Formats: sequence, C-alpha cells, structure tokens
Amino acid sequence: MKSKKETKKPLLEIHDLFASTENLTILKGVNITINPGEIHAIMGRNGCGKSTLSKIIAGHPSYEITGGKIKLSGTDIEPLEPEERAQAGIFLGFQYPIEIPGVSNLEFLRVATNARRKFLNKEELDTFEFEDLVKEKLEIVKMEPTFLDRSINQGFSGGEKKRNEILQMALLEPKIAILDETDSGLDIDALRIVASGIKKIANENSGIILITHYQRLLDEIKPDFVHVMANGKIIKTGNSELALELEKNGYEWTDKFIDKT
Amino acid sequence: MQIIEEISKNRIKKSASGSMLQKICLDKLQINPLPNHKSELWRMANKSKLARFLDYKLNHDFYKPNIPYENESQNVIRLIIGDNKKINIKEQEWEIKELDDQKILNLIQHKLLESDTTENWSALLNHLLTEKKNICGLNISGKNLPHLEIITNSKNNLFNSRTLILNIEKNTEVEISQINLGDDNCSLSNSSYLYLGEDSQVNHGIVSYGKYKSHLINSLNVFQKKNSVYNLGSLQFKFDFARLEININQIEGNAKTNIKGMQITQDNEQISTYAKIAFNGPNGFLDQLNKSLARDRSHSVFEGLIVVPRIAQKTDASQLSRNLLLSNYAKIDTKPQLEIIADDVKCMHGATISQLNENELFYMRSRGLTLEQASKLQLRSYYQEIISFLPISKERWDLLALLLNKK
Repeated sequence: MKSKKETKKPLLEIHDLFASTENLTILKGVNITINPGEIHAIMGRNGCGKSTLSKIIAGHPSYEITGGKIKLSGTDIEPLEPEERAQAGIFLGFQYPIEIPGVSNLEFLRVATNARRKFLNKEELDTFEFEDLVKEKLEIVKMEPTFLDRSINQGFSGGEKKRNEILQMALLEPKIAILDETDSGLDIDALRIVASGIKKIANENSGIILITHYQRLLDEIKPDFVHVMANGKIIKTGNSELALELEKNGYEWTDKFIDKT
Repeated sequence: MQIIEEISKNRIKKSASGSMLQKICLDKLQINPLPNHKSELWRMANKSKLARFLDYKLNHDFYKPNIPYENESQNVIRLIIGDNKKINIKEQEWEIKELDDQKILNLIQHKLLESDTTENWSALLNHLLTEKKNICGLNISGKNLPHLEIITNSKNNLFNSRTLILNIEKNTEVEISQINLGDDNCSLSNSSYLYLGEDSQVNHGIVSYGKYKSHLINSLNVFQKKNSVYNLGSLQFKFDFARLEININQIEGNAKTNIKGMQITQDNEQISTYAKIAFNGPNGFLDQLNKSLARDRSHSVFEGLIVVPRIAQKTDASQLSRNLLLSNYAKIDTKPQLEIIADDVKCMHGATISQLNENELFYMRSRGLTLEQASKLQLRSYYQEIISFLPISKERWDLLALLLNKK
C-alpha cells in the first residue's frame, strides 16, 4: 500500500488481527495501515466483519482480541479502555447511534469534549465557552441549537442521528475516525450534509475509515484506498476505481480473491 | 419490641380527644399486635428490621429537624408536624384552615373500621401512637395556593409517630410536598389521608430521606371524587427499613391518577412500596411507574394491585415496574397485579429488571467518558424521570445532587 504521506509515521496500524466474540472468531487476520491525511473505505457483504473491526478498534467489551496488534501512533491500544482510546484520538461513528433518554446532549458533548481536551493538555471548557464552541461546530452539520437541549439522540430522525455523530467528531477532533455506515438511512440531502461535514473535519493530520456498502458516499468523499473485506479478512485493496468496479459487478466478483485455505 | 410490649400491657397514654380513635386501634392491635407474615402485604418484610422498627422508646415531643432553607418564601408555606404552629389563612383566592377533632375522626375512622388488621396494621399502629399535637388536619380550598411543604421528622433513638389529614375541597388546585426525615437509629410512623373533592387537582410529592439505621412506615390513603386529578411522585432512600403503602380509591370513577415513584437501596437496606389502586366507578384512569435501584446486599420490593370491579367499566390503567439491579448480591422483588371483573377495560402491567444499559455505557465511553462518568449520567437520567415529576423545587431540596453524590 503506497501512502501519499510517506514521510509521516502511521496513525493506525492493524497487523494480523484476530478477534472473537462468544467463542466465535470473526476477524481472521486483518491488516491495514492508515497514514495521516488518508481516507480509507472498507466495503464488503453484510456479516463480513466490517462493523466488528470498528468496534474492536474502539474497544467494545464484548469482543476479544485473540491475535495480532492495533497500534495508534505506534502505541499498542489493546490494554486501553474504550474511554482511553477515545481520549487518545479514536472516534467511532456508530451505524445505529444509541438513544439515551434523560441525558442532555449538550452536557454529554461538553463532558466528552473536555475529556479529549484534558488528554491533549488543553484547558477544559466551562459551560459558556463550550456553548460558543459547539455553536460554531453546529454550522458544519447544519444543525439547530435546539438539538443540544434534547436527550442524546432521543426522538432524532435517522439523518439527525448521523449528523449528531459528525458533530461529535467535529468537537473531539480525533486522530482516527471510523465511520460505520454513516450513509445508511440518509436521503440525498442529508448524505450531502454529512459528507460535507466529514470533508470539513478531515485534515492532513488525521485519518478516516469509511465503512460503507454504497458508492454514493464515495462519490462525495473520494477515498485514497478501498479495501474489500470477506470472511474476516481484507481480500483486496485498491483505489477508488475498485469501489466503482464493485458497484458494477457486485461482491460476487471479489469471491475469486478469497483465500480458500 | 418495646412498642408491642406497651400495646400488650395497655400502657399507651390515651389523649382525651383522640380516645375514640385510639380505642378502635387498641382493640384491634391487642388481638393481633403484629401483622401476619403469611399475608401478601407482609410476606417480604424483613422480620428483624420490622422488630427493630418497633424497638425504640415512644416519643411525643417535638424536635426541630435540620432542614435547608429555614425561611419560608412567599410561595411556600412550611409546616413541621408537631411544632404547634397554627395554620388558618384566608386569602382572596384560597383558604387553609385547621380541621376540628370531630371532622378528623370522621375522615379516618371509617377506613380503620372497615379493613382487617393486617391490611391496615400500619395505620392502626400510627393512630394508636400519635398524640393529638402530632396530628395535622387541614381543609384546603381555592386556586393559586402557595406550595405546601409538610415535614415530619424523627429523633434519634426514639419512636415517633405523625398523622396528616388533608381535605381538598371541590375545584381546588394545590401542590403539596411531604418530606419525611429519618434521624440516626430511629423509627418514624407516618399516616396520611388526602380527600380530593370533585374537579380538584393535587400534585403531591413524598420524599423520604433517612440517615444511619433509620426506619419508616408510611401509609398513604387517597380518596378521589369524580373529575379529580391526583399526581403522586415519591422517592425513598437511605432507610435501613422503609415501607410506603399507597392506597388510592377512585370512589366514583371518572378520575385520574398518575404515580411515579422510586426507591433506592444500598448496603443491607430494605425498602418497599405497596400500591393498591381501586376503581369504584367507570372511566377511571391510572398511569403508574415504579422504579427501584438496588446496590450491595440490599433488597427492594414493589407490589402493585389494580382492582377493577364490574362497576368500573372503561377503566384505563397501566402499572409498570422498572428496576435496576447493580450488584450480584442485591435483590429485587416486584409483582404488579391486576384484579379485573369489568369486561370493557384497558389494563396493562409489566415489570423489568435490568442492569445499567451496556450499549449506552459503551456509547458514552467511546466518546471519552469514564465508566464512572457514564454510569453517573445514566443514573441521572434514571433518577431525573421521577425527580422531575415531584412538585419540589430544586432550590429548596436538590434531590438529584443528593442522590448523585451518594455512592
């Protein structure tokens, strides 16, 4: 895999990763390297392990790493708790953002932002300072300030939930953002808002992994690399042309790359 | 059990005006001094804790409790039962006046005469042991009343007993908060009666907040006339043994009752809520949610019963028990029940027992919140649903802070 930022150290290195849940092996030797400024797309059939990979990187307690390594800026993250990974700069945009009734979105965002700022040795923000910051970030995803007064994701439409995920990404300024099917359930306008938000947040120092089934997101955000996953492994890597080929030929076309052994 | 000994040996001091009431209670309790543990209402009660409840010296004196916001504000009338404060206020839009002894007797005695000892043991004990000066009876009428804050308290190492009777007249709208404060090593018996007149609305909050080894038995009896609305929010915590008995009677149907209650237990505590809602006329409405949260080796009990006789057609009632079990050693017993004879009704009940939602916790942790911060936010939301229903201002009693600053 050739990087356009060859001189910089990799942000995320996944080496020969094996993982399981409830004695079922799901990842069977995943290898990916993300360098600063790169956007990677991971595609694949349902159940191939894409979402599992994202949850394992974020530290979901239901999954166990049984082999291999995940390194963030050269540090092994396996011993880290989910919150430590988030504070260190890993962000997971959920496919199905969780509704948490009774917990104010504004308060949640403020506590989360301050946890990340504390890790970065930045001064924590008080309520008023945070309100100024969050209003600025709301612009990126075209959300009304009234969203902040509601409970986390409660009563949000599918599009609003996904925009709320991108708002969190904007506030947390992660090193690596893994966006798990952020395009699912979005209409064309909402997709454009979300994609435009992601592009505004993306920068030279961070990396993005887009997990998706559809070309339409990749029309909006052009990836540097496209990986096809099957049976818990990356079976093919290419550039954005690969996604177009998948769109044209379907996943059956990639079956020939599966290592039958 | 000092109190039972006093009853058995007939050593309870009788007050002149309350003698009729006390005689009824004494007669019943001398036959059955303790509730029958085989009955559904007492089966779960921890016997040693009940014995401890009854093992303090009876006290009739007043002790000023330590409470926040000593001064009354313009919109709050504070009463501490037993402090002899006279309440007779008449304003243009409303009036609060004390009930005379005969009226109090009339309002209570039918309830005591009609039911059996086990079912009504808590109230019988209360009326036997409460002296006249510790009975607060008020007649309330009108609209735009100030908030009524009624406090009962107990003194450490003593058994204290208080009674509250409120007659809410037709078309009255009032907010009442009742705060039961338990001291270290003490017992508090409290019985309350609310009579809601036609077209009246009462927002009632009961907060029972104990200290080390506090014990409380609190019986609440509400009688609703037609077109009345009764909203009850309750919160019980930090009692070694506490019991809230809710009896609501929609005596003519066509009334609404909304109840949201919560009990929080830790260490070795046992806190229970028993709720019986009887519809004695058509078109009654009930929406009840009871929450409990149990930690350590504590025990939380909820038993609910909705009674819908044939006369109560078109009743719409729901009773839900939602529980959080936060320790492998804690115990939650919950039993919402329906007793329906009428055939044209909409009734539902349900119970859930769960732990903190792992998906919610992971979501918050994946944003950098520690497990403790995430749990606290989750608990805050769990508490908030009930606390926001209580008609008690945060400025006077910051209940959420009180709960979140605990373990």
